Amino acid sequence: MADYQEFINEMGSKIKVEIKKKRRLYFQVKNDDILEIIDHLFNKMGCRLSTATATETYNGVEALYHFSDDKTGNYYCPRVVMKDKENPEMNSITPIVKGAEWIEREMAEWWGIKFIGHPRPIPLLSRNHPKAPNKPMRCGR
Amino acid sequence: MKTKSNLKNIVNKNQIPLGPFHPLLEEAEYFNITVDGETVVDIDMDTGWMHRGHEFISEQKTFTQSIYLVERICGICSTSHPLACVHAVEDVDNIEIPLRGRYIRTLVGELERIHSHLLWVGLAGHFIGYDTVWMWAWKYREPVLQMFEIISGNRNHYGMLRVGGVGKDVDPASVPELNKILDTLDKKMDMIAKIANDDPVLRSRLVNVGILSKKDAIDFCAVGPTSRASGVRGDIRKDEPTDAYDLVDFNEIITKNGDVYDKFVVRVLETLESIKICRQCLNKLKIIDGPILNNVKEISAGEGIGRYEAPRGEVFHYVRTDGTNRPIRHKVRAPSYNNIPTFQASCKGIPIADALITLAGVDPCYCCTERAIRVTDKNNKKNNIDLLKLSRDKTSNIRGNF
Amino acid sequence: MGWYNKRLAKSLWVFHISGSPCNNCDIEILDLITPKYDVERLGIKLVGSIRHADVLLVTGVFNEKVAPKIKKIYEQAPKPIFVVAIGSCPSSGTVFKNSYNIVENRESVIPIDMYIPGCPPKPEAMIEGVAKLMEKLNG
Ligand code: SF4
Repeated sequence: MADYQEFINEMGSKIKVEIKKKRRLYFQVKNDDILEIIDHLFNKMGCRLSTATATETYNGVEALYHFSDDKTGNYYCPRVVMKDKENPEMNSITPIVKGAEWIEREMAEWWGIKFIGHPRPIPLLSRNHPKAPNKPMRCGR
Repeated sequence: MKTKSNLKNIVNKNQIPLGPFHPLLEEAEYFNITVDGETVVDIDMDTGWMHRGHEFISEQKTFTQSIYLVERICGICSTSHPLACVHAVEDVDNIEIPLRGRYIRTLVGELERIHSHLLWVGLAGHFIGYDTVWMWAWKYREPVLQMFEIISGNRNHYGMLRVGGVGKDVDPASVPELNKILDTLDKKMDMIAKIANDDPVLRSRLVNVGILSKKDAIDFCAVGPTSRASGVRGDIRKDEPTDAYDLVDFNEIITKNGDVYDKFVVRVLETLESIKICRQCLNKLKIIDGPILNNVKEISAGEGIGRYEAPRGEVFHYVRTDGTNRPIRHKVRAPSYNNIPTFQASCKGIPIADALITLAGVDPCYCCTERAIRVTDKNNKKNNIDLLKLSRDKTSNIRGNF
Repeated sequence: MGWYNKRLAKSLWVFHISGSPCNNCDIEILDLITPKYDVERLGIKLVGSIRHADVLLVTGVFNEKVAPKIKKIYEQAPKPIFVVAIGSCPSSGTVFKNSYNIVENRESVIPIDMYIPGCPPKPEAMIEGVAKLMEKLNG
């Protein structure tokens, strides 16, 4: 557990730690700080982006990124919550992490999240789809 | 979308569409390759031909049912996906697994790696027009499937795993037979390793083809043999040893060049390591007795991440639970999802003839890539009513006929 | 057609398309032409173009995106062509039948002449299926 204490100390004011478990750290980040945090995780600490998950909760739409630190086996999961369920918007991390292109396209397609600064914002799976959905098909709970 | 400058580009260059049903692509996939003369300058990919909506279906199923569902994401990784899925569920509550169960999990996972790598070696041979390699590799893949049949009762889709252990025990009486098959396999793999080393055809077609540099591998977050061939270390079996991986002895194979030949070598050498692990597991299974399944009654609310080193790289499952017996969010990320975009780096600037083997070099599995995202229930609800109506109509039809 | 069918049954050329399967059925089909099962001894050959084929093997639950393409391929085929559906997927939809992206009735896309169920069917079962097809063609 001591491993990610260093990260928490360094980023202290910008993150809100939610769950701390063996090898897993979930924390909330504001949309304005996400690029800085990702830059730190990817470029400084040498983490690898596993993937990202979008979910709709009672509080809004959230995007949860999963970064894996291969040296220690730890997981860092920054979570961005977008309160506006109708038009969720957040900064794209693709300019920093090239590997995020597909997953952000997928999230934009199915959850309606608008990624600001994404280089290629076209649908991933429903391009050329004969019955393409005309609205993001996110869950309606 | 086509601006003027774009149009000008297209005039000088030709586009070659490939797919969705191309005889060399076993699965339906569509590539749009832009070439300038013989050289590939750009590659674009249209996915979604295999999209079946696993994540959506999984959220309607219980955890045990889910295992059979994720097994059918992909026919080749039919242990890796369930393994990552049960790891994710176990991660929510830190469930312990009995020792014998851990060894059986490792054994099945490693056998799968052998069969998957052999499959790729064969297909790679097929892609470069060297069908002898294909026939041989697939011939020696059969004994592995035979082992699976002895262990689980089916050639593919084993249904071995449960949350908290495994569902089927390995019959101790079958261990000598399994060992014998491993012995023959070992010899044959040695032969294939030698082929890889000094076959002139393979060398001339694969060396220095489709190079993925170390920087690109890191940038695109590539995983598994694709990144290890480029010199990036990272193997979930070493980084986060689950199951029995901290109890067995094996090496992580890393090469430097990142071309298709290196990917070939990494896979062949990994197969040899896997055989080693299988041997150790079988030896342990002879002496370790005890339960194989830790009965799990309840999963509390929380979030869990599970991962496993599939033959193609890290497979990742994320499960969020709310205390009931179904997940409220289940995210699946297959290794090919990260590996396929590396085409953009490795395919540019190579002759079109080499493009196909480069595309195949990462061992892409499109079925995995396009599994699923959840969508609104609204459409579905309507569907259910439709279905109900359909079935009622059908019943009344049948009644009318009698 | 009896005369024609008899000639056809001597050597069936098959073309294989995958309509959103889990991949396993496709691998088992490829397994058929490798040394252990070797269906080429029965005159069955996997060809690279639908124009050369007598039999069309389909696998998987067809999703909405791939279904029109499958239809197109079927239309391009020289008739008569026999469609053999491999696996439980085309017949029942197996675990995917609750999905939002698949066509509910595979027969509405292309007519299917024969189902070989199993998930995946064993290669032996596939050989038996094809043998039955040959029997039928021979009258
Ligand atoms: S029938 Fe089974 S093995 Fe075949 S494609 Fe469907 S799920 Fe996969």
